[in-house]
Amino acid sequence: MIVFNLLLHEWKKSLRAQGFYKNLAVNIMLGFFALYFAVILLFLGFSLSEILEKADSKLNPLELFNGAMLYIVLGFLTFRFLMQQLNTFQLPPYQVLPIKRATLVNFLLLRPIVSPINYFSLLVVVPFALKSVVGYYSLTVAFRFILIVILIIWFNSQMAAFLKRKYGSGWISFIVIFAILGSFAALEYFKIFSLFHFSNRLFMFAVMRPYGCIFPLLAAIGAYWLNRWFFAENFYPEHFNKHIKHDNTVVTNFSFLNRFGIIGEIITLEIKLILRHKRTKSILYMSVFFLFYGLIFYTKDVYMHNYGMLFFVAMFITGLFMLMFGQWVISWDSGHFDSLMTNNIPIRTYFNANYYLLIGFNVLCFVLSTPYYYFGLRIFYLHLAAFIFNSGVNVYLLLFLATYNNRRVDLSHSAAMNYQGTTYKSFLIILPIMLLPMLLVWVLSTLFSIATALYSLAALGLVGIALRNQLITICVDQFNRRKYILAEGFRQGE
Amino acid sequence: MIQVKNLQKVYNEVTVLDIPALNISNGESFGLVGNNGAGKTTFFRLVLDLIQASKGDVLVDSEPVAQNDNWKSMTGSFLDEGFLIDFLTPEEYFNFVGKLHHKSSDDMNLFFESMKDFFNTEILGTRKLIRDFSKGNQKKIGIAAALIGNPRLLILDEPFTALDPSSQIRLKRFLNELQSQMNITMLISSHDLNHITEVCKRIVVLEKGIIVKDLHTDSDTLNELQSYFAV
Repeated sequence: MIVFNLLLHEWKKSLRAQGFYKNLAVNIMLGFFALYFAVILLFLGFSLSEILEKADSKLNPLELFNGAMLYIVLGFLTFRFLMQQLNTFQLPPYQVLPIKRATLVNFLLLRPIVSPINYFSLLVVVPFALKSVVGYYSLTVAFRFILIVILIIWFNSQMAAFLKRKYGSGWISFIVIFAILGSFAALEYFKIFSLFHFSNRLFMFAVMRPYGCIFPLLAAIGAYWLNRWFFAENFYPEHFNKHIKHDNTVVTNFSFLNRFGIIGEIITLEIKLILRHKRTKSILYMSVFFLFYGLIFYTKDVYMHNYGMLFFVAMFITGLFMLMFGQWVISWDSGHFDSLMTNNIPIRTYFNANYYLLIGFNVLCFVLSTPYYYFGLRIFYLHLAAFIFNSGVNVYLLLFLATYNNRRVDLSHSAAMNYQGTTYKSFLIILPIMLLPMLLVWVLSTLFSIATALYSLAALGLVGIALRNQLITICVDQFNRRKYILAEGFRQGE
Repeated sequence: MIQVKNLQKVYNEVTVLDIPALNISNGESFGLVGNNGAGKTTFFRLVLDLIQASKGDVLVDSEPVAQNDNWKSMTGSFLDEGFLIDFLTPEEYFNFVGKLHHKSSDDMNLFFESMKDFFNTEILGTRKLIRDFSKGNQKKIGIAAALIGNPRLLILDEPFTALDPSSQIRLKRFLNELQSQMNITMLISSHDLNHITEVCKRIVVLEKGIIVKDLHTDSDTLNELQSYFAV
């Protein structure tokens, strides 16, 4: 019964969060996004059977799905490990009350299982099971299949939480996970050990037998007990945070930036900010995933003549870090804004530093996206034009519009599903930056040719680069107009 | 050094600060006392150009501080934790501020040496981030950082609260030394009447945004203040 009370407290906490009502517009927009994804997933679920039937294999859709299952489990485990927020339930006020430790721990562990976000994947699995599995096998098998998937979700959420609690989410864990995934893929590719085959055997066995569900159930319970064991060892908050604190004390040195004077110092500061906060770090990881976004478009002929869309993708890839971080460059300094404003930093220097930081990001993304040239020289032209446009036009737009985000941003929580400090403005900012150039390319390439379109946008970018001083002055003036509103907003906690 | 002209700050039609005229001369140690909500922090924020005055100006060296970067190079300040960059280690933070004032690493070593007593081995070399320090140590870090640029103007908001007794005494001695040796102008607020009368030569009492007393510290000042605030 106490667990019920605790759940009630959590609910009240979210209802009474100050941002909840102020951010109604954001919540509605997020609702639409969720609906959009739900529809896409449902659609995928209904068509998955046909897609798998077309695959070049003797296996039927369920066998194929089961073969991929271990990869899916590992993939989602990685994703959760990087993105899932640990249950940062405020233990201390409850620790002093007469509530049994076991109750508190149970609540902490079981809460994610109640959260609907975990069951999004069922939107794919249930239609697939009802349509395809029932067709090939029987309704009972379909139910067992769904049950197994639910158990796997439980296993994953518990396991990811345990790994994260135990090992923290530093760079090392990130690399280790990628190495594990990569080596399985390599073993598969060189036909040394087929995880696919193993997974297929394992899950077909589980699905076909009435007692088959016992194995994933045992796995889920095992993961749950791992967590219980961890908590039995480390119940006090001081032990919880040990890992997190530990990997923060790695003092990185960016001495190569020293020679750029105060601008270099501020850039170093911003880089440290990104590497030492959960939220910015998980945006960084997420951006790395997004680098593969182009694979969806560049591989399909359907998009090859939809130049507006292609330019959008090119802009997104070559400006990834800038687009992810750009509009937050000022509000991420909200915690120490007073410090920056009263120290010996001219506003212009502050803006120059942020400008060079974003340009540096662009160069990095441009270099990282070179493998895409594999898909043809046209991708190179696209990327080059997008890179110049990003560095000559969008960078100023972002710096200018960043002055409109005047909400204090709390960086100590992870980014996935974290919209604290986001307002409807943050969404509006994206519109002129992404949609306008897309429209421009579409119009120019329809009226003239794609070459004209790319030349025009690159020319716009070059003009922007040439007018750097004047354009930064405009941003600085804008900042000076907004300075007090920003300082006031940043001082108010949410 | 500082001139205040017709300064007013109004929030939601309530005047929280109203100072028609105030002059703080070079080398003066200026103490500000008053109950919560008297407008002490508001006044400091106006001097540091962190909020916009509804009316009037603050001038430092006869230049208005608003929309101006010139005063920053000679001002050191610490009001609250917002003045710290809490994801850095203390050394990183001090070096950052040092670079902003073009200090060499020798200068910084001298600075660390001079702070040794005040820090009491708890701050330097711990490899801890500022956000993991206690409130008292954060305050020490903030005060120390405000001194790096050899400021001619030093602004501290309640520097004695949250410090342990020894640190309070050290800080008092320290501020008096700065005062006598470097002749810097200091603006200090405090709730502790004993401390402020020991450190400041001039004490101004604010009440609901208005200056109600402007005293030159002598042997009677403490009694006068105590009887003023007695309920």
